[in-house]
Amino acid sequence: MSARVVVAGSGAICAAGRTPGEIWDAVCTGRPAIRPIEQWDASGWPTSLAGEIPGLDPRALVEDRKLHKLLQRSDLLGLYVAGRALDESGFVAYREALDPPAAAAVNDRTGVYVGQGGSGYQNDYEFFPLLTIANGDLGTFGRELAATVNPMWLLRSMPNNVVCHIGIRHGLKGPNACVTNHSVSGSLAVAEAAAALRAGEADRALAVGHDAPIEPQVVLYYHQLGLLSADGLWPFDARRSGSLLGEGAAALLLETESAAAERHARVFGEFLGSGCTTEAEGLLAIRADGDGLAGAIALALEDAELRPAEVGMVVAHGSSTRQSDASEAAAIHRVFGATAPPVTAFKWAFGHPLAASGILDSVLAMVALRHGMVPGVATLRELDPDLGNLPVSKLPQAPRSDVALVLNRGFGGSNTALVLRAAASEAR
Amino acid sequence: MTGKPRRVAITGLGLVTPLGNDVAATWDALLAGHSGVAPITHFDASGFPVRIAAEVKEFDPRHAIEDRKLLKYANRSHVLALAAAEEALRDAGIRPEVSDATRWACVVGTGKTGLGFGELGEVHRHCAPDGHFRPDRLLTDAFAMDPLAFCRSQTSAGLALLLQRFGIRGYATAVHTACASGSQAVGTAMKLIRRGTADYVLAGGFDSMIDPIGLASFCLLGALSTDNETPERASRPFDATRNGFVLGEGAGLLVLEPWDAARRRGARIYAELAGDGNSLSSYRITDSHPSGDGPIQAMRQALTTAGVRPEEVDYLNAHGTSTLMNDRSECAAVRAVFGSHAGQIGVSSTKSLMGHLIAGAGAVEAAVCALAIHHGVQPVNANLAAPDPECDLDFVRGQPRVRRIRAALSNSFGFGGSNSCLALRNPDEVEG
Repeated sequence: MSARVVVAGSGAICAAGRTPGEIWDAVCTGRPAIRPIEQWDASGWPTSLAGEIPGLDPRALVEDRKLHKLLQRSDLLGLYVAGRALDESGFVAYREALDPPAAAAVNDRTGVYVGQGGSGYQNDYEFFPLLTIANGDLGTFGRELAATVNPMWLLRSMPNNVVCHIGIRHGLKGPNACVTNHSVSGSLAVAEAAAALRAGEADRALAVGHDAPIEPQVVLYYHQLGLLSADGLWPFDARRSGSLLGEGAAALLLETESAAAERHARVFGEFLGSGCTTEAEGLLAIRADGDGLAGAIALALEDAELRPAEVGMVVAHGSSTRQSDASEAAAIHRVFGATAPPVTAFKWAFGHPLAASGILDSVLAMVALRHGMVPGVATLRELDPDLGNLPVSKLPQAPRSDVALVLNRGFGGSNTALVLRAAASEAR
Repeated sequence: MTGKPRRVAITGLGLVTPLGNDVAATWDALLAGHSGVAPITHFDASGFPVRIAAEVKEFDPRHAIEDRKLLKYANRSHVLALAAAEEALRDAGIRPEVSDATRWACVVGTGKTGLGFGELGEVHRHCAPDGHFRPDRLLTDAFAMDPLAFCRSQTSAGLALLLQRFGIRGYATAVHTACASGSQAVGTAMKLIRRGTADYVLAGGFDSMIDPIGLASFCLLGALSTDNETPERASRPFDATRNGFVLGEGAGLLVLEPWDAARRRGARIYAELAGDGNSLSSYRITDSHPSGDGPIQAMRQALTTAGVRPEEVDYLNAHGTSTLMNDRSECAAVRAVFGSHAGQIGVSSTKSLMGHLIAGAGAVEAAVCALAIHHGVQPVNANLAAPDPECDLDFVRGQPRVRRIRAALSNSFGFGGSNSCLALRNPDEVEG
């Protein structure tokens, strides 16, 4: 019998707030944190809106200034939420009270699983001054390299920076992974962390997802691909016209039930299961029938040993593109038939933070279960009649149990589903 | 899952490496001691402090992949991966069918992707001719409007191509922990089968950083050997005179399946993929602790999860990058884990011949271990004239060592501190 996996800490940041509570409050007020992009002047752009974190000050996120030169914007977000989740969990205080060999053993048994979205394009622009000097001559490029480009360039570019620096800053030394699978990276980090705990490879694991895709070349590509809206996110709405990029990060500290009990941890919820499938039809293709997503949900419920009727709420991917929302609705109908639980989505509030989205939605799903409330999709005006009788609402709904199903989709036809439960009481 | 975890068999191998464009050519070159390191031909490297690399040679993507449309979505490392995957599936004699596609998974370690050098040059010419980037120029840049360039630059692009090409519809993921990527991917794949998430996994790693930016990035860190005049001797892990690693490129893919299923269908089993160790050094970005802390935990876990006793290990494919800090830390770790048995293990770093394939390295080296077990031969650690006195292991020098291997380990340690160790076991040891 594999170990039960509980949640003992969380952290989150996005355009709508810098803690899970702040983000929850913003979602409940119904005002989207979608604003004109500030990182460059995008006023004349076909898409000029995004879910940017306003006034982002690196020092407010990660106090060690030496580290700032070694990290990209997305990495700062990931390190910040990791620290918040550890703080909230009381893990550090527990470890400090142990004698050194016991603390070392705890570190060896604590894993780090991170999902991230790729390092974007801007980092490569640091070669532009050198390209200008070289003027097409590679000989000059090679000779002037050392004098022109920051010697630490590669280290800042590494996709696995958050794994590395969580390790160095917090001393965690257990099993680890850095998932680089577009928008499902964060939810796969949760799934793999939980699998490591179930298999006895670790007693605790920090799962993190982070992304900061709002940069000029990314926005333009997404626009070219027809994925972006000109004015806002309206998931499942008849007039939805596309998604908008967001940025952010979220973290969950997972522990086996016995490891949490060992340190008398406050338990917020439980990981029950996960499912992952792909549709294998190319990087950008999505099947209209929602086949891959329906398969992922079925696998996750099987893993959680639950029937569809036991699911209390669904946090949909709800990216607000015509195709993704329609196929997602098809998948939900296929699994739940005429009796789907309340469905909501959160991206309307802070944009689509790609690799962070699945884990950020998971953190919010657990807040929702704790409050016994499924927040409405505030931007919904008229449910798309082509989506059938999907139980999504502009107004809050009541979950029908303490179990949430969190759906997440990414490029390559990737689909994941996570099943989470809120703790019956906050103290165990 | 209840009961005993499923035993995992390696039944298919595919390689495209600097030593050869398939498994047979790579293995032959390893045994013959031919070096894959030579002056760089991919671009004019004459101005760089390092002008040598281990390139994949005479590789024609159209020969390997007849689907021309697919190739438009692929960068060089993706094409190498597609070719290696094709060989691995052919070698295994099994491939995803519509009926079992959802029971196939794919886990790959992928390189740090982004724009190609030529593509970056296009953006520079249009948007930053004076070196200063002007975002608005992108709006009139035909290249920045090209969805194909976007697709090729995605970190999950190689994965998506493999899934599409071979029709894999189960669990799929791409991972990146620098030089440990390929090995972590193979380890994760093993666990997917053990926990019942998948029945078959196409797993491996691929990378190609031999372009001006990739070479520059390692030159800036001073991590590469500058022995431009003697390329075939430049990579000399554990030698007292080593002075850095040699950048390579390539792909290694493996087909994994449950042992019993492999036996039932009469498949050739190269080895059991028996154990996986995975740890974080949490010491420095680019180094492990000199004591071997970090790698020690990974090797111990690999042995434990494999149920292999230290004295059963006959061969270690070392990470062996040919950098001072790595080589010494790794040797300290081997001594700490194996104690007096450390001297009985044949050790070689095949990076001495094929260079460092970065995200592809761990997967290619896992395949080398499977071949070493299958053939009963330990490939050499080339260029080891005078071992560093701090590295006092039993290195395979001069000639490959013909000797039955009961169990083998493959080490991979990445920038960022991720350590991965895979344990492989001889099929005869499994079935007595």
